Amino acid sequence: MAIKPVSVSQLNGYIKRILQMDPLLGNVSVIGEISNLKFHGSGHVYFTLKDQNSKINCFLPSDRADKLRYQLSEGMEITASGYIYLYERGGSYSLNVKDIEVAGLGNLAIAFEKLKEKLEAEGIFDASHKKEIPFFPKKIAVVTSETGAAVRDILKIIRSKNNYVDVLIYPVLVQGPAAAGEIAAAIDDINVKWPEIDTIIVGRGGGSMEELWAFNEEIVARSIYASAIPVISAVGHETDFTISDFAADRRAETPTAAAHMAVPDIRELKEYVSSVKEKLDRSITSYLQLKELHLGKLDLAAFQRDLESRITMEQMRIETMHMENQRQMQGLLETMEQQVTLFKSNLDSLNPKAVMQRGYSAVTDKEGRFINSAGQLKPEDQLILYMNDGSAECTVNQIRGDEHDGEKTDI
Amino acid sequence: MTVKKPTFEEALKNLEAASENLKKDNITLEDALKNYEEGIRYYKECTEILNDAKQKIETYSK
Repeated sequence: MAIKPVSVSQLNGYIKRILQMDPLLGNVSVIGEISNLKFHGSGHVYFTLKDQNSKINCFLPSDRADKLRYQLSEGMEITASGYIYLYERGGSYSLNVKDIEVAGLGNLAIAFEKLKEKLEAEGIFDASHKKEIPFFPKKIAVVTSETGAAVRDILKIIRSKNNYVDVLIYPVLVQGPAAAGEIAAAIDDINVKWPEIDTIIVGRGGGSMEELWAFNEEIVARSIYASAIPVISAVGHETDFTISDFAADRRAETPTAAAHMAVPDIRELKEYVSSVKEKLDRSITSYLQLKELHLGKLDLAAFQRDLESRITMEQMRIETMHMENQRQMQGLLETMEQQVTLFKSNLDSLNPKAVMQRGYSAVTDKEGRFINSAGQLKPEDQLILYMNDGSAECTVNQIRGDEHDGEKTDI
Repeated sequence: MTVKKPTFEEALKNLEAASENLKKDNITLEDALKNYEEGIRYYKECTEILNDAKQKIETYSK
């Protein structure tokens, strides 16, 4: 017998109660392949889980999505655990996911590649961000399991090479769901509590991909990237590559290799330092020997000879200069003498006496002033005639103009 | 103010530099002797550090 009709809300409310009271549906794990994967801006993740014949909508709230250990990807097979929830408004149900496990190499490889792509795009693996591992550390930290093979290997190598460096072992879980959080927190903690630490080794010994997974989780990569202290990542064996390896400043193939990388061999260093010191000694010795040799070569007698010959040379040079000076002076004198003779003969030719010898006389008045114009004279003027060998006093009788004009002019 | 002791790396680098400088052809006697003295000083600093074997290995407990 049917009951009386109910409203849609009443029906959905009833179904919701039934679903939520069911002990199985309240805590269920479902295996399926991811499709229609959508990351909402709010941080919530929506996807569909499907198998060959069926599918179910899934909802992963943002607070859970943040804690997820795997980067989800389309086509990846996962085991989602959670509870069935009915949305009364839409009348649809979905799996409200609390946690996701990923099993199998193929699926883990997908998650690995997805995260690698994402972090690479963000620059988390950039070579420019990588720090140099200090060559001679005072103190290093090892973040690994206290009981694992890694810590034993690392300490063995350090003890055999180096009795100087201090080692702080920071114990963490290295596998299981809590491991990544502990590893990341340890790296952060070391940076805060012991900023003087030179290098951090983070890693573990070999294991399956699932066992190594903590080192493929985003949170670890981010802490390594953020660490101000250089980090060496040393996870598993040579063939194991993890996201931490890419994020770290250096990847070591094994924990043993990491220890070799982190600390120098003190004995070798002592030998090296001694060898440099010996080289220093040899250099200064040979340098001083060379200088001594040089000094020995400086023969005093040779030096004196050298000096004497230089003096002779200088003397000769001075002598030559002196002779040259004399020669020049002589020449100069001769030239001047010639000039003087020339001047003298010039002067001679201008001497009035010479003219007088040729018959000319000079005429002056009584005061001795030369008369050079007939116009200066009057009859009865007294004149003096000077001749070559004497003088005569004369009186002017008559004055005539120049006869060359062809006429006579009485003045 | 105390003068900070050089790190091993610094001391070693200086020791190496002093040794290299001494090999230069045209170094003066004064510089050669100065370099040698400095080299010996850095050598002592290096060996002092290398002989300071006071290693401590501890496990942190939260």
